[in-house]
Amino acid sequence: MRRYRGGETVLPRGLRFYPKKRGDRRTGSGRWGRLGEALFFTVFLAAGIGFLALVVITLLVPLWRLNNDFAETSCRVLDKRISEEPGEDGTLYRPELEIEYQVKGRTYRVWAYDIPPTHSSGRDDKQATLDSFIIHNDQNNQLYPCWYDPLEPKTVALVRGYGWMPLMALIPLVFIIVGGGGLIYTVLHWGKSAEHKAAAGLSSRETFPNIPDDSNITNSPGTTLDFRLPMATSPGWALFGVLMACLFWNGIVSVFVAIAVNSHLEGNPEWFLTIFITPFVLVGIGLVFLFIRQLLITTGVGPTLVEISGHPLHPGDHCDLFLSQSGRLSVNSIAVSLVCEEEATYRQGTDTRTESREVRRVELYRREGFEIHRGLPFEAECELDIPADAMHSLKADHNEINWQIVVDGDIAGWPDYSRSFPVVIRPASDGGQA
Amino acid sequence: MNASDIVIQLDGKEPAEGPIVGRSRSYEPGEILSGQYTIDATSLGGKELSAVEVSVLWYSEGKGDEDLDVHEFWRKSTDDGDFIDPMRPERFSTTLPRSPLSYDGLIVKIRWCVRVRAFVGRREIVAELGFQLGNVPPPEEVEQ
Repeated sequence: MRRYRGGETVLPRGLRFYPKKRGDRRTGSGRWGRLGEALFFTVFLAAGIGFLALVVITLLVPLWRLNNDFAETSCRVLDKRISEEPGEDGTLYRPELEIEYQVKGRTYRVWAYDIPPTHSSGRDDKQATLDSFIIHNDQNNQLYPCWYDPLEPKTVALVRGYGWMPLMALIPLVFIIVGGGGLIYTVLHWGKSAEHKAAAGLSSRETFPNIPDDSNITNSPGTTLDFRLPMATSPGWALFGVLMACLFWNGIVSVFVAIAVNSHLEGNPEWFLTIFITPFVLVGIGLVFLFIRQLLITTGVGPTLVEISGHPLHPGDHCDLFLSQSGRLSVNSIAVSLVCEEEATYRQGTDTRTESREVRRVELYRREGFEIHRGLPFEAECELDIPADAMHSLKADHNEINWQIVVDGDIAGWPDYSRSFPVVIRPASDGGQA
Repeated sequence: MNASDIVIQLDGKEPAEGPIVGRSRSYEPGEILSGQYTIDATSLGGKELSAVEVSVLWYSEGKGDEDLDVHEFWRKSTDDGDFIDPMRPERFSTTLPRSPLSYDGLIVKIRWCVRVRAFVGRREIVAELGFQLGNVPPPEEVEQ
């Protein structure tokens, strides 16, 4: 009996035609799913091969023959013009020259320029190309080099080289790589169970599987205690995020507001549009208030520092915490808590949603009614007792259990603020929970 | 053949009422889990048992999409030249990991089980026996 060990988390199934329910989410039989995946990748691969064949036949082979098989001769220019054809973003142009040349005593007269014939934007470039050729007349007998196909002498070009067009082959190659790779993966895993797939390719096991790494937490030494904890989201980034959301939302809504306002000013009010955009405008106003609130917190509340005497933590552990709060604040209350949150990520249609639920909050420290003066940070120490029955931290692809130290501040005449500092709790060092 | 034709038995401990999966066997991290499975040969209906897989694994339940992680995996397959005798009980044994522990959260739940998957013709029959790793009590929702 073959034996495998491993430790990677996978979502074991693909498309499902007959779903079954597990917990709040649906999973299902993989047979139809695997068939669907195989079909999807086959279509992708076939499209790539077809497109590549088209590029090779119509583009790469003619280009290669022009640069290697075609014979050189000289020609006279009899006339010139710019050929036009409609494109998605406007008219496309190609320079064309009527030339006369001889092959084995026979005279050919054709319109030609490049092979394969390529139209592109920019009329001025093409006109400049045409201007560089002089039409043959009694005073001018200028000859120009040209290259003709020995098998079909009427096929001729006035320019050679490869240019950027061979890069077109990269587009179908992407389809071929994705489709072929996906098909190979699907075939290799055909008939394999979810457990077999999860076990395949796994060779080593971590000491604490599915518990987040704490190197980011212990890489910054503290000034009072051993480690300074990093903040989950810095106030600056939070402000930037709210600002971007505010600008994006209100930027779009303002276009429709302008149309509605103009319609009212011109005496031809668009009542449907006015009523329709009202809730969107209210959301936009809410975002503006949110931005102002975050701006006040970021600029008015100074840095919050939290240091800890030991890490990682275990159920039943006891350690010390150090809190430092800067700024010029009249504090109604400041509280430090140990908080546990469950976080679940799931797909709903085409959306990916994340839901979190607070399942534990232990207040560690609270002080009320005091002042913090600029240049003289408020500092406090408290004890941190990890509950003996605490669940450890967990990190999987779609499910997490996160522990954090949360500092909640209630400032007089200023918005309340909350700052989080993640910590990692491992299972009890004796192997089990207390 | 259906799931009840596969019987999974764990050694030693008697099932006890636990906080996670009701009446089940409870193990501590690092403890050895061992047992055996049997397949009712009379239920095969003359069809060949082409492969059997045994896994000790955890999976998630709850609000989020399912995560699944195999701790240990054994496979016997006639394609690989293995001899599969459904009449004979097959034993398995593994040292349980230190995490993740069984958990019955509000939107995140972690379940451990021994899963046996039998391949009979083009059908797959799956039976599993849950057990509890660790002894973490379920949380209570915090009032916001």
